Order: sequence, then C-alpha cells, then structure tokens
Amino acid sequence: KGEEEKEKSAFNFQSYMVEKACSVNKALDDAVLLREPQKIHEAMRYSLLAGGKRVRPVLCVAACELVGGREAMAMPAACSIEMIHTMSLIHDDLPCMDNDDLRRGKPTNHKVFGEDVALLAGDALLAFAFEHIAVSTADVSPGRIVRAIGELAKSIGAEGLVAGQVVDINSEGLSDVELEILEFIHIHKTAALLEGSVVLGAILGGGTDEEVEKLRMFARYIGLMFQVVDDILDVTKSSEELGKTAGKDLVADKVTYPKLLGIEKSREFAQKLNRDAQEQLSGFDQDKAAPLIALANYIAYRQN
Amino acid sequence: ASFPSVVSTRSKAAHFDLKTYWTSLMVQINQKLDEAIPVQFPPVIYEAMRYSALAKGAKRAPPVMCISACELFGGSRLAAFPTACALEMVHAASLIHDDLPCMDDSPSRRGQPSNHTIYGDDMAILAGDALFPLGFRHIVSHTPTDLVPEPYLLRVIAEIARSVGSTGMAAGQFLDLEGGPNAVGFIQEKKFGEMGECSAVCGGLLAGAEDDEIERLRRYGRAVGVLYSLADDILEERIKTEGGNDSKNKSKSYVKIYGVEKAVEVAEELRAKAKEELDGFEEYGERVLPLYSFVDYAIDRSFSVGDAIV
Repeated sequence: KGEEEKEKSAFNFQSYMVEKACSVNKALDDAVLLREPQKIHEAMRYSLLAGGKRVRPVLCVAACELVGGREAMAMPAACSIEMIHTMSLIHDDLPCMDNDDLRRGKPTNHKVFGEDVALLAGDALLAFAFEHIAVSTADVSPGRIVRAIGELAKSIGAEGLVAGQVVDINSEGLSDVELEILEFIHIHKTAALLEGSVVLGAILGGGTDEEVEKLRMFARYIGLMFQVVDDILDVTKSSEELGKTAGKDLVADKVTYPKLLGIEKSREFAQKLNRDAQEQLSGFDQDKAAPLIALANYIAYRQN
Repeated sequence: ASFPSVVSTRSKAAHFDLKTYWTSLMVQINQKLDEAIPVQFPPVIYEAMRYSALAKGAKRAPPVMCISACELFGGSRLAAFPTACALEMVHAASLIHDDLPCMDDSPSRRGQPSNHTIYGDDMAILAGDALFPLGFRHIVSHTPTDLVPEPYLLRVIAEIARSVGSTGMAAGQFLDLEGGPNAVGFIQEKKFGEMGECSAVCGGLLAGAEDDEIERLRRYGRAVGVLYSLADDILEERIKTEGGNDSKNKSKSYVKIYGVEKAVEVAEELRAKAKEELDGFEEYGERVLPLYSFVDYAIDRSFSVGDAIV
C-alpha cells in the first residue's frame, strides 16, 4: 500500500499534462494547414488552436498508452476528437443556438468571421476529423481504424452529442425537468465524446474487448462528473475565472445539478462518480493507470 | 482497333433503358435510407434528419452513380448500398446548412419548405451535424466486410470527408457567398462537381478499381456533376424567358454571367469529355452503359425521375 501511494505521488500530473497538451497542439497545428480558401482555414484554426485544456485528446492518448499502445497510434484520433469538440462549440455559440460572444477567453468564431463562415468552418472541421483519422493513423490495423471511426461517429451523432444538445435546447425554460432528463442531456452532450476519446484510444492502442469496455465505463463516470463539476463552477465562479460567460445556465433558465440537488449534494455526487470511475481502473497496472487516475481527479477538482 | 467497339458501346448506350434502371435503384435506395434513420429519442432530431434525407423530390443521383460505378468493375450492389446511402445523408446535411438564413437563406428546397423553415435554425444545424457522422457510421456498420476489405473502406471515408470539406463543397459554398463573379467556374466545380466525382470514385473504390481507373472516374464524375447543374441553370433560364417563374436559385450561375449560348457550348464540351473518359472502360462491356446514359440524361432530361416516383 505504501509503495502504491509513493508511485501515485511520484507521478507528476502537471508536467504530464503540459507535455501531452504540447504534443497535441503541435499535431493539431500540423494537421489543419492554412490552405485556400484561406478564410475558412483561418476560422478553423482560430477555434481549434485557441488553447483549451485538451482534456479529450489527452484522455485518448492516455487510454492508448494504458493498454500498451504508443502515443503516435492515437494522435490522429486525438486530434480528430478535438476538431469535433471544437466544431460543436463553434456551432453551439451561434446566435440561433446559445448565442455566445466569448469562448476560451476570446471572441467566439462567428463574432470574428461571421455566422456563415463559422458554420462552414464547423462543418469542415467535422468532415476533416474523419478524413484525418482515416488517412493519418499509422501502425494500426485497418480493422481497428474502421472500428474507431464507427465509435467516433456514434458518439457525436443523433445517438450521442447531438441528442444531448437537442434535449438540452428543448428543456430550456421548463420548470419540471427531472433528474433523469438532466442525466440524459449530460451523458450525451458531454460524456459521449469523453467516452469516445477513451474508447478510441483503447481500440487504437490494441486493447482487448474487456479492456475497452472497462475504459468505456470509466469514461462514462468521468463524463457525467465533468458536467456536474461544470454546473457547480457555473454558479460559483466568475466569467473571468472560467474564460467563458458564467451564470449562463441561470440566465438561460437551464436545469442544472446545483438547481436540482443543491451545491453540497452536487459536490458529493461528483465525488461518488470519481470513485466509481477509478474503480474501473483497479484491474490495470496502477503505474500505467496513473495518468487516467490523475485526469479523473483533475476533472473532479478543477477550478475552471 | 478499339474504335469500332467504342462506337458500338456508345450506340448501345443510346438505347439503354435508364428510366427503368434508375427507378428500380431508387426504390431500393429509398427503402435502405428509410431503414437507416429510424426515429429514436429525441424524435424531433430524427424527424428533421429524415425530412431532408428522405425528401420525396430527390433524384438520388449520387447514390445511383456510386452503385453504377461499383457495378462497372463487377462489384456487388450490396457492397455499395451503405456508401450510397451515406452519400445521400452527407449531401442532405450540406444542403440543410446551405439553406440556412445566415447562408443562402432559401425558404424552400426541391419544391418543399427547407429544413429550418419547419424545424427551426437550431434543429436544422443539428440535423446537419448528425447526418454527417451517421453517413460514416452507416458505411462502417453496414458494409459487408467479406465484400469490401477494410483498407478500401478507409479510402471511401477519406474520399467523402475530403469532398464535403474545406477544400471541397465547403470551399464552393464559401466562394459562392463571398467570391467575385470570376469564381463561378470554380464554384460550380466545387459545389456540384465534387459530389459527382465523389460518388463515382466511391463506387470504384468499393469494387477495388485500379488507381488509373479511379482517376478516370474522378474526371468523369466531376464533369457529370457540373454538367447537371449547368443543364439545370440552362433549363431554368429558358423557362424564365418563356415567361415562367423567376429564378429562386440564389447561387452564382454560369448562365447568368455568360449567357445561355455560351453555357450550352460548355455543356456540350462536358458531355464530350465525360463520354471520352468512359471510352477508356470499354473492356467492361455493357456494364458501362448506365454511366454513359447519365451523361445524355443530364442534358436531354428525356424522362422525369424523383417527383414522378414515390
């Protein structure tokens, strides 16, 4: 036990995140080049390279390495996931959707490039994500790449991310949204792509079916936790601290965990999800699982 | 030595019953598309997706061309159906987004209200965002792997993604919104040529065609795609001068800029170019006939597909 504690503390999460986010940023910069027509590509790069914590791509790479794969095997998929995440943010921020002016501390895409270009840049990122993973994934069998593409498509479509967005939009302003609906929204809107990130990494890294399913469960728990924490931060932090508009959920009259459960119960719920998530990793080499454990803790205790 | 057989293939193509061929394929494609988008929770998004992907007025030209190109090389129709459906989904997604108020602002499409007119701008954006990945997912989950090896599937996915992406159809739409009048040729190539090119190429890829054959399909498909839109513009212009309705097509048209006569000339050049490409497939005998007759149909419109058939 003592040894294990020492291993955990020996793992330097800060430098791990910095190092991985650096590789991801470099790979993203190399993937989306400034081609003709320049303005679309500028718009794609503007949001894609705007910073962000790169939680999804790092999860993807970490899952790949946990099952014995190398970073390079998962990097194209990790970039694709970040492209899709970015696309969903660009579309979400549009005036006919959430109508946001600020994202990651900068003016939103349509504020800079106009709605038409923002919409197209999002579509182009979505398409390119699939091209990139299909074309640039190396040293992985075609069968695994095809399977990864299927998982990715499922996690972002009408059975995943989009389903969450739709129910979220439809539940705005309703006073009697139940916990069940709230959970549906988050499992789809947030957890699905986090699940996709981890599952893609595990598949591409050569994980067994059992390993892939364990990591899928891990991702589901941290995905839900991610949103519970997000909801808590929305009511407890300022816009400046968050780098996006705070209190947005209250203004939009959205149902949130703090509203349904109260802040304290929400915090307890987040902690339970974190425990459940980490339990899924118990069968793995704890040394190798250290990045995912630290990522779970990071999501649980993050301040923005 | 090949000249006589090319002539004979071309004359056979003139008698090919495209209407029956196209109609029967459409029935199959419509059924498969219907099955590919079952309504689940939340129903509104599936209804929005189905509204555009299953639109009655659609001719299903991209799927039909994909299947014909696959069959040209002896590929099975069963190998091509999932990709054919995906092409229609991806195409529908891009049309839904093109029609939005912040883009072309079109209240109608194929004689029916456009997607956002019925479902709202937000749902229309999301329906498009969901149809893209559903197309890829459908290919992956429905293509029989005993008929199509996985490396071929990866090439098909990359081809479709590239066609709709930032250097393909999205580039065409962007220039249509912002480009000057000189860009019209490029816009037509990108907005309409890409889909034709992609459809033909995907069919060839699924059947395992050689690289030079794929390039030939690429040139053929692009020419036919542009030809269709050009012929549409010419028809529309003629109806207008005969005192019909005003054009509702807001995108920059070759006809509006260069006039009908010049457009007809360009259309004939495209017809000749597309057929020349097909002449290179003479070793495949009569399996090339559907591809020839698409070319003539683009200009002649000798029968009606789509609206007449349900």
